[in-house]
Amino acid sequence: MLGYAIRRLLALVPVFFVVSGVVFLVVHLVPGDPVDNLIRAGSSPEQRAEIVARYGLDRSLIEQYVTWLGRLVSGDLGTAIVMRRPVATLIWDNLGYSLSLGGLALVFSAVAGIAAGAVAASYRDRWIDHGLMGFSLLGSTVPTFWLGLLMIMLFAVQLGWVPVSGARHWTSLILPVLTVGLGGTALVARVTRIAMIETAREDFVMLLHAKGVSRWNIQIRHVLRHALIPVVTILSLRIGLIIGGAVTVEYVFARPGLGSLLIRALSQRDYPLVQGCLLFLAMAVMLGTLLGDLLQAAMDPRQRDEAIR
Amino acid sequence: MSRTHPLKSLMLLTPTPTSAVAGFALVVLIVLAVFAPWISPYPYDVQNLSIANQAPSALHWFGTDDFGRDVLSRVIFGARTSLSVSLVSIALSLSGGVVIGALCGYLGGWVDRLGMSVVDITWFFPEILLALLIVAILGPGSQSTIIAIAIAYLAQFTRLTRTQIITLKRQTYVEASLSMGAGPLHIMMRRLLPNAIAPVLVVAMLSTGNAILLEATLGFFGMGAQPPVPSWGGMMSTGSAQLFNAPWVILWPGIFVALSVVFINLFGDGVLRALDVKARMRTQ
Amino acid sequence: MTISNRHLTGPLLAMALAGGSLLPAGQAAAADAVFVLPSSQAGAPALDPIRGSLVTLADALIYDGLVTQGADQDFYPHLATKWETTPDGMTWTFHLKEGVTFHDGEPFNAETIAWWIPKFAGTENAYLVAGIDKVEVVDAKTVRFLMKHPDANLLYNLSSGFMGIPSPKAYDAEGTNYGVIVAVGTGPFKLESFTAGVESVLVRNDDYTWGAEVAANRGPAKIEKLTLREIADSSTSFLELKTGGVDAVIDVPSDILPQYATLPNATIKSQSGFGIYYMPINTTVEPFTDVNVRKAVALAINQQEIVDKLFGGKGLAAHNFLIASLPESKVDPKYNISYDPEQAKSLLEAAGWKAAAGGSRSKDGKPLTVTLWSQSDSEFKRLTEVLQAQLKAIGVNAEITVFDTSSIRAEYKKGTQQLAVRSYGWNNADILDWFFSGERLGYPNVSMWKDAKADELRTTALTGSKTLEERIANFVTYHEYVLSQYPFAPIYEPVQTLAFNKDRITMPEVIAGPQFSAQTVLDIDVKD
Repeated sequence: MLGYAIRRLLALVPVFFVVSGVVFLVVHLVPGDPVDNLIRAGSSPEQRAEIVARYGLDRSLIEQYVTWLGRLVSGDLGTAIVMRRPVATLIWDNLGYSLSLGGLALVFSAVAGIAAGAVAASYRDRWIDHGLMGFSLLGSTVPTFWLGLLMIMLFAVQLGWVPVSGARHWTSLILPVLTVGLGGTALVARVTRIAMIETAREDFVMLLHAKGVSRWNIQIRHVLRHALIPVVTILSLRIGLIIGGAVTVEYVFARPGLGSLLIRALSQRDYPLVQGCLLFLAMAVMLGTLLGDLLQAAMDPRQRDEAIR
Repeated sequence: MSRTHPLKSLMLLTPTPTSAVAGFALVVLIVLAVFAPWISPYPYDVQNLSIANQAPSALHWFGTDDFGRDVLSRVIFGARTSLSVSLVSIALSLSGGVVIGALCGYLGGWVDRLGMSVVDITWFFPEILLALLIVAILGPGSQSTIIAIAIAYLAQFTRLTRTQIITLKRQTYVEASLSMGAGPLHIMMRRLLPNAIAPVLVVAMLSTGNAILLEATLGFFGMGAQPPVPSWGGMMSTGSAQLFNAPWVILWPGIFVALSVVFINLFGDGVLRALDVKARMRTQ
Repeated sequence: MTISNRHLTGPLLAMALAGGSLLPAGQAAAADAVFVLPSSQAGAPALDPIRGSLVTLADALIYDGLVTQGADQDFYPHLATKWETTPDGMTWTFHLKEGVTFHDGEPFNAETIAWWIPKFAGTENAYLVAGIDKVEVVDAKTVRFLMKHPDANLLYNLSSGFMGIPSPKAYDAEGTNYGVIVAVGTGPFKLESFTAGVESVLVRNDDYTWGAEVAANRGPAKIEKLTLREIADSSTSFLELKTGGVDAVIDVPSDILPQYATLPNATIKSQSGFGIYYMPINTTVEPFTDVNVRKAVALAINQQEIVDKLFGGKGLAAHNFLIASLPESKVDPKYNISYDPEQAKSLLEAAGWKAAAGGSRSKDGKPLTVTLWSQSDSEFKRLTEVLQAQLKAIGVNAEITVFDTSSIRAEYKKGTQQLAVRSYGWNNADILDWFFSGERLGYPNVSMWKDAKADELRTTALTGSKTLEERIANFVTYHEYVLSQYPFAPIYEPVQTLAFNKDRITMPEVIAGPQFSAQTVLDIDVKD
């Protein structure tokens, strides 16, 4: 197990280099550049040329990539051109907001989804199954910005229980977490339900029945555990969402976060910042996946990648 | 080995009344979308600023929008945009993902590592960020949106298929087939994929709904279908400024989005059950 | 106020939200106010006017400048009590106010100015002081600028938000981190905390007695603690005002303005415009190489209908390139561009674009179809769709493509555009140079317009004027010539709309200044 983990970690190194190259390339494929976001009415073409030279934007792409990579390897993410602050500082300042919103939302999706799916599977085809599955769809049938606005209208405006927006008070986290969390609940619930139904049909379950193990015991300790495998896959797929994907919610609720930072950086073509954020996201997801895979491997040895022959 | 009669297969696709109704509703939606120019009461782009933001009435069943355009007509034409974009992009994504995922899962080794590395790069980034990046590169318009959405969802289909294949390839019936001399393609098509496909299809069903929502979010950020062509998402985002004095402008596209997704899911459930039944028939 | 370890501020702030405020949001203490900043001021990474590319209301409240601009576009004393200039414009002498101190206790005097002007060198704002050759300290309260060349725009630049004066001691001490945790000026408010992209929290400077002449209240502000929040979504700011979470929304987008009318406690105030919406026409691409076709398209725009139907009657129809309050906008009326569909149609007919039965025009078998580019903000999209309809009415089929801001600039530089919808926010005639200079083709000169006579007139206006009067006259001439060549069509001059909660705060009757700024904030009072 440890050997597997170390092998996987080492395998991340070449991926890191490939991702850095892809990120750099993709960011520079987008038309536009940061300089137009820096200059304002009144400055001259000479000033523009001088700014271009100062940030090395007139050198060849390869040269720029190598420079950037060189700094990366020594731990320096560079400085944002338009936003002017060190990229690492900007990411760090926004990370906390993203983690709190995304992390809590993931927990919500997982708990609510698994619970709903497990109950629905246990009472398959009864009204509670249909009801739960129908209700869990609520979060995933409307766009998040719309759901967010509705939540604000109901809970903040009509009922006045929570603030409308912002990030100053812990209560302003409630609605955003619900909005993002509800979005993931349906998927988790459905996959849990399907997986539990399928697992329940497997031979070892019939064996447990035959041995006289209680139905509840079977469902929770055996079926659910096996059914969680694809659920863990689904959840680990959502790690990227935790960190950068709550963009529309951040927008509607006026919260800072990595997603909003990246959007703003992209719209300003702030190359070092976009590259830094994308790379950071990729690294975080890579490590998260690794964690998820390790969990899976711990739960099901069949997941380790060996060829069939 | 018995083969099911094709007609029987079709009937088996809708085992419950719910899924039959949902399937029928989907057909209605598709008909609305395809025959929009003939069904909709008004053209979708004729402006009449003096009747802007009017409540639903006999003349305009769903009311009018900011430019005095008929909301019902725009919703019907919006079905065209939103449905075609989501269906095409998910179909693209599903096919690509299943092929790559099955290959990686079955063959393992360097094929697996290479394939998954390439696909995983797309999946490091949340759908919306990925889609925005791709649309930024490709330029605005529906084509870019389709490609962006397809790429955004590729990784999940790939990963899920791969996981399922890996889980299943060690089953006894697979080893039995192998020992009987069956080739890899046969095993893939007859044994692995039909059984692996179930959760992948569930995800695909839900993803169509997600694709409609992703298209809406892209519209929210100003990308997607170009004005005056309506899409449900675009209507919702521009209509949010009139949330209080003209709620019907966002209400109706939102309802249609929700209904589409619900019908897709209910019908998908039916398909799943059908596959379930067929699978059971195969292994017996 | 304790300054936490910089490295932990971000995540700690997020994690420690529980301790962030004892009062649930929406209930501020007396004499505290919360405003929502305009979206144009969102995203400033720091409160550093010298190096920054964006200044906000927070900067205007923390820092004072030498002069202030009034709503009449004229210049008034602030930290400079009076000034003289020699007739050749090569020397400016400023007399500074007595008794002014920075928030950190440092004195403000001529030495400050001598330190300050050179600080712009090497920054993106260096152009503001490009005309100044040397700064001379005459005595503690008098400073002299020796110019490289006459700069009739000097006062305008000095009144700019980028020329708010920071404390030399604090500025040098913090280095490149200045403006995030520490921002020290002489202004009516001190910085308590700044979170980029979220909010700036300011507290009153109780020692403040040197407000600009244009403000009724020149002493300490009445507000004790002012929070300036950035909220990107206009529906969210509306709901915040409705629930009392904020007390004022400084810039309300036109599409959501009607909803504010439904709030019983909200009052709307308008200030005259700060910019223009216009449609640049690419002069280098068919069919717009013909000035008459350009004129036809310009005359097709029904400015008044746009004002009435799209903007609820607020704002002004624009008939030339400058805002109405600028003297340089007072061109000879025959140059102003107004709606005239009949003339537009006959111009097109004369140019060979014949109308078919359905109304669409074609020439030699080619249909009159043009591209109409726009940006992804909701205000632009609404306007663009209406323009499309108005163009259709004279037989021009316009196909809309919506880009995001940065992509569209790259596209403009390729020069393939035909029509576009753009806007600018600026209250100085040199915006004509910015958008129509032959040296900046593509972007910002989206019209790709290069004209020898125009460039000649432009240079005269920009650098050949020694006095303000001369400058105005030269710019009027340049402006008139630009209008006669139809490289653009004017559309609309928006008003700046402010919405505030009248049960919580009082606002002065007339909003001072070309934009909502410190002068007004000094006069705002919080009701108990």
